[in-house]
Amino acid sequence: MPNILVADDSPTMRRMVIASLQSLPNVHFEEASSGLEAIERLALAPVHLIVLDLNMPDIHGLEVLHFTRRHEVFRSIPVIVLTTKGDEASRAEALSAGAAIYITKPFEPHLLAQYARDLLETA
Amino acid sequence: MTPASTNVFTEFLDDYFAECDEHLTAMRRNLLTLESLAQQERVDVSLLDELFRSLHTIKGLSGMVGLAEAEQLAHLMESILRALRRHQLDLSDEAVDALILGTRTLEQVIATRQTRQPLPDIAPAIKQLEAITGPLPDLPPSPEETPTAATETRLPLPRESGPPAFTLREGERAWLFQFTPARALAERGISVDSIRTRLQEIGQIVHAAPRIQDGGKVTFEFLVTTDADDSTFTPWQEDGLTWAPYEPPPPTPAATGLKAVPTPSIGPPNVVRVDLTRVDDLMQTIGDLVISRARLEDTLTSLARHVPAAQQRQLQEINQALERQLRSLREGVMRLRMVPLGEIFERMKFVVRDLARERRQEINLALSGQETEIDKLVVERMLDPLLHLVRNAVSHGLEPAEERLAQGKPAEGTIALRAATAGDSVIIEIEDDGRGIDRERVAEQARAQGLLDAEAPLDDPTLLDILCTTGFSTRRQADRASGRGVGLDVVKKTVEELGGSLALDTEVGRGTRFTIRLPLTLAIVDALIVSVGGQRFAVPLPSVREVIEARPKDVTVLGNEDEMLSYHGDVLPLIRLAARFGLQEQFERAFYVLVAAHGAKAAGIVVDRILGQREIVVRAISDPLIQVPGIAGATELGDGRPLLIINPAVLIGSRR
Repeated sequence: MPNILVADDSPTMRRMVIASLQSLPNVHFEEASSGLEAIERLALAPVHLIVLDLNMPDIHGLEVLHFTRRHEVFRSIPVIVLTTKGDEASRAEALSAGAAIYITKPFEPHLLAQYARDLLETA
Repeated sequence: MTPASTNVFTEFLDDYFAECDEHLTAMRRNLLTLESLAQQERVDVSLLDELFRSLHTIKGLSGMVGLAEAEQLAHLMESILRALRRHQLDLSDEAVDALILGTRTLEQVIATRQTRQPLPDIAPAIKQLEAITGPLPDLPPSPEETPTAATETRLPLPRESGPPAFTLREGERAWLFQFTPARALAERGISVDSIRTRLQEIGQIVHAAPRIQDGGKVTFEFLVTTDADDSTFTPWQEDGLTWAPYEPPPPTPAATGLKAVPTPSIGPPNVVRVDLTRVDDLMQTIGDLVISRARLEDTLTSLARHVPAAQQRQLQEINQALERQLRSLREGVMRLRMVPLGEIFERMKFVVRDLARERRQEINLALSGQETEIDKLVVERMLDPLLHLVRNAVSHGLEPAEERLAQGKPAEGTIALRAATAGDSVIIEIEDDGRGIDRERVAEQARAQGLLDAEAPLDDPTLLDILCTTGFSTRRQADRASGRGVGLDVVKKTVEELGGSLALDTEVGRGTRFTIRLPLTLAIVDALIVSVGGQRFAVPLPSVREVIEARPKDVTVLGNEDEMLSYHGDVLPLIRLAARFGLQEQFERAFYVLVAAHGAKAAGIVVDRILGQREIVVRAISDPLIQVPGIAGATELGDGRPLLIINPAVLIGSRR
């Protein structure tokens, strides 16, 4: 059963993301409200896809991304960066660091679901 | 990209409002701190970061629910904070004012969306914000404008390099903690989040970073400065923590002279957010349980004759244990509904600040007891009344600076806002050190308006009653801060609807104090069960001062048919419940009088008999067609027959 990690410091935003991805078959969700928590979730259970916010307290989403790309165990997990308008400057950094897709909020739920489905299938 | 299917997310609107509310509360607090720092060289970066993050979240969420106005405002304010963060902008009074106006407008936009009212005009706020940022192109800004937007708001977190420089205070040491998360720990509720909270409680986290050990295990490193002894953390070994004293590397030339940046409190507090309706449902179930237990007790009593004494005692013990446990369960659920008053006190700071500016007067707002907790519903209902009283205190209470100085008072006026818990009540005081209320003027006006007898004295309770009379005003001109006398009647009405009371103390030249007493909870109260004309009624115990037994011969009938009873050397007007509800009194020799008060007026409520004292569940009567003044709601005692709950204050208040 694919496990999707949703990391965002806003609980409402996490619910919106999960609601958008609920239609995917058999998925299970892990939630994290900070960068540190996101990394802990990765350490505790196998994760198959990360939906990652950038502007989070304690560890910035880009740091989380860099961390996962530096370490063998996490390197192959696809990452969707989901961030708020105004952070576009980090797009290039995120993509070159290894994010699969970069989406800005407000996002289209069915598009997010489509990307997630594709990434889970190719992984 | 604007989602065409925005309405997908309308089911999240309540979450949206709740989360925005939390951020707006934090923003108001941070902005006031920021204001106190205006025109200073160095501004605490963590303060700017926290404001930035609040706005960033509001912007993101507003976009999701399609509230473009909120998104636009948050975006402009975010730009100002970013420029402040990068020292491209000085923290001027103008910048702070624009941020405050922006926050207020943002708050209004979100509030009007919530109440489905037309949105306010955001143009003035946009104009003022753009005057600071310079006009920005449409959303989103071009990358050139925000070259390092993401990195700018990142906390200092070196990657594989050493931790940042830090300073140790007297008696402090630096420790390097290492936490290795594990499933077994997570099942015991021990996570990186709870460890971080634990470490924050003993000191300051200077640095936090994940590491990968040989073999692929993830650990977290926390560098903490603390004055706590290592015996404090010895028990933590079992929770996956290890530690060692940390020796800072010798400062490099570049690092000297740099002040340590205070790390903001990172991560959310250990809090779950629950929809209030779920708590209400739980409370309803507990209410049903209270009724079931009452039925059990009645059954036990009726069985008493048939059960041997030993078993009966056992049953009684079980019944009493059940009652105690039910009480503690109820108190536990009640606590879930409790929120600290500090949140609305913070809002008052904002209001006072605005009024102070408008009137060009120094006003000191002294807060105490912010941690006092009260039912969430009560907090929401009390916001407007408290706002009104604070505005009143400024506009009617505080004298202009020259006048104050002439009277030997400090030029700066003080408004104190205090809260405290006393037994089953919460007491809120609003006090000013202003001119006090001019009794003579009020009395004169009241007599002119027929509200006060020519010779009647004007004590504080009577004064309050007059001030609370709808439409009463001594002001010749309404002013913007408080309006024209409108509101004090609403304040009193709201407090009484919540089962509380309002009192006034005032002294000319010294100041005025309003005291609000509110019940901690609304749903379940102790009540006297009485009977009148064969009908049972419940009277909440907190509103009954005393119960006296009386006989018809003790009653004096006045010319206008009003009935009086001699009471503590005074007279007590009587209200016959039977007459109010078209019933026939059924007492034999004596009847009972429940003494209750409403503001300055006390009265006795006449009933046939007192049946007992019970814990009752208050069910509000919401259908306006069957709402009757003097009836606070209905309840049942477990026998399936409903009974009405009397609100003595309203009965007394509506007496001729």
